[in-house]
Amino acid sequence: MKSFFNFFSSVKLAIFLLIFITIASILGTLIPQQRSPGEYLDRYGDIANFLIRLEFTKLYQSWWFISLLFLFAVNILVCTLTRLSPKLRKAFQPKFETEKKKLLSLKTTASFKKNQNLEKTIPDVQKMLSSKHFRLKTDQNENTAFLLARKRLLGLFGSDIVHLGLLIIIIGGIISGMSGFRTNLNISEGKTIPVPQADFELRLDKFVTEYHPNGSVRDWKSTLTVIENGSDVLSKTIEVNHPLSHKGFVFYQSSYGWDWENPTLEIWAKKKNDPAFLKKFELGVGEKAQIGEENIEIAVINFVPDFIIGENNEIATRSLEPNNPAAYIEGWREEEKVFSSWIFAKFPDFGRMHSAIETDLSFEFKDLRAAQYSGIQMSKDPGVNFIWVGCTLLMVGLFVAFFWPTREIKIILEESQNKTDLTTGGIAAKNREDFQSEFDKIMESIRRSQ
Amino acid sequence: MNESTLFLIAFILYIVAAFFYFTYLFSKKDNLAKSGYTFAFAGLIVHTAALILRTIESGHAPFTNMYESLSFLAWSAIFAYVLIEGKFKIKNAGPYFMLIVIGLMALASSPLMPKEATPLVPALQSYWLWLHVSVTLLGEAFFAVGFITSIMYLVADSKEKKGMAAKSSLTAEKLDSISYRTIAIGFPLFTLGGLVFGMVWAYKAWGSYWSWDPKETWSLITWFVFALYLHTRVVMGWKGRRSALIAVIGFLAALFTYFGVNYLLAGLHSYT
Repeated sequence: MKSFFNFFSSVKLAIFLLIFITIASILGTLIPQQRSPGEYLDRYGDIANFLIRLEFTKLYQSWWFISLLFLFAVNILVCTLTRLSPKLRKAFQPKFETEKKKLLSLKTTASFKKNQNLEKTIPDVQKMLSSKHFRLKTDQNENTAFLLARKRLLGLFGSDIVHLGLLIIIIGGIISGMSGFRTNLNISEGKTIPVPQADFELRLDKFVTEYHPNGSVRDWKSTLTVIENGSDVLSKTIEVNHPLSHKGFVFYQSSYGWDWENPTLEIWAKKKNDPAFLKKFELGVGEKAQIGEENIEIAVINFVPDFIIGENNEIATRSLEPNNPAAYIEGWREEEKVFSSWIFAKFPDFGRMHSAIETDLSFEFKDLRAAQYSGIQMSKDPGVNFIWVGCTLLMVGLFVAFFWPTREIKIILEESQNKTDLTTGGIAAKNREDFQSEFDKIMESIRRSQ
Repeated sequence: MNESTLFLIAFILYIVAAFFYFTYLFSKKDNLAKSGYTFAFAGLIVHTAALILRTIESGHAPFTNMYESLSFLAWSAIFAYVLIEGKFKIKNAGPYFMLIVIGLMALASSPLMPKEATPLVPALQSYWLWLHVSVTLLGEAFFAVGFITSIMYLVADSKEKKGMAAKSSLTAEKLDSISYRTIAIGFPLFTLGGLVFGMVWAYKAWGSYWSWDPKETWSLITWFVFALYLHTRVVMGWKGRRSALIAVIGFLAALFTYFGVNYLLAGLHSYT
């Protein structure tokens, strides 16, 4: 137990770990992370398998990197604790210095004589030091007195506050890594979707894209409504940098797109023998419409945004972009199928040729429209509050450590023949030059005071 | 008077300042260093006006593309130098420092850097852009001052070891202490701007405060190096050469975070 403690209380260990973590982090930026094994094989050849096995390809999530961070956290904790108790003792059980020799061996010292007795000198000294915001302790005997003046005691603990902040950040990071949850949701306008892992639903009421005068995108805005048990509880228009939070879930505007898998198709029906005949339909996939007096019903059975005939002659789509939109339509008269055909928005002639000759009808796929969807990134991160608390402590600690240095002045006063000898020494852990000049000024004004 | 004219005037003032500082280096007449300081200060004022004008014209923070951010980094560097010079009297560092500033200004004016102000992509439209970038670059500017004084320390130290006494009051020991105190200002600024504000903004914009994106990782690496600097110094009592070397490495890491990552490693921070 003791050797465990000694091992982890060593600053050398902290420095080694810091160096290892730094080198590992650098490697992680040089080796592309989280790619496919094939990509590593192309890039690194024979050593690819080695890199993958040692998890260099997902370095920041690897067991050994996380172990390094864990060791580092334990190291910080033990180092901070072992150094804390002497500091606490120093802060709360201060000791007077009673030996002049020790005071004079300090880096900042002064000794001088005042032409008044102890009774008069002490208040002068106290008043002077108090006006410089020192807090005082005095121990007075018959003809000697000891004085301890200190200020900015918090400065002693700056580094401890920093370390505490770091530990809380690391704990927050572990919580985020273990129970954080992120996913993307694509919602079309007017649609409601259940939120994964949550007991509420989300509806997209409105989605707009705003543009700069030069045509580049200025912003995306989604008006979202949270629905709980069927009733609306909260509405907010989110945009990039302005997410919606509800019950620990946060919804971010992250992308947008068009739902080309479920568009509305505009289809025109014509007759060869009757040029005046024209009927226009707007149909979604699976919808039907009467053509009219013919008593024929047209139905859109299937739709692909980017038509392609696959290897086994099956119909497929090459992409989710409307590069070659095609619809499969059927015509029914009562129970009898009278025609069926693929029609193409980009190749109107093709559709016309294959349409129902028997009925004299031909169909043209004139246009298509898709609802725009809003890409919402959703995250639930229970670690995040730890991070903010840790960051606040980190900054407070750094400020205190660098700009709030503890100052300590110890004075021995001795009276002889109605005169007082003063021996003073000052202690400053940081910014000694500044302290030296402050010390000199204080001593000068004590010397002069009457 | 438009922004590019003001930028040019500031650039010229910096060159004049460098000229005076370099002549000071050879003739050691204090007046020359004073003139250098005056011109650098004048340059800083004109440069400030240029940045304000840029902000008004473009309607956004003056550090959203490489030209703007180089110009702002040069401004921060001069700002940090003027402060440190005012407090510690390091006029011997003036000439080297002006060289860095002129280098940054020259890079900014090079035809490789597109200068026109383009509207911001949605992710950058946030007041966090101001907080994150300006505080980070200011921190890096102090690291730059620490870099120069550390290099000067290394030179002065090897001269003193060879038995040559320091010609000015700026002894190796003093340079060492100035480096430390400059880094003691840069480190909290860099932590606040680069890491803390960066995490807050990342959480607001991307939904995740940390993604191990190369720029994030490299700021963390920079932070680690300076943490190493502080711990070896404060806890283990390292001073002098080894300390100065860590400060130099730290600044190079900061420089790589700023430049290298954009050009060599792709990631979330790639805004072009």
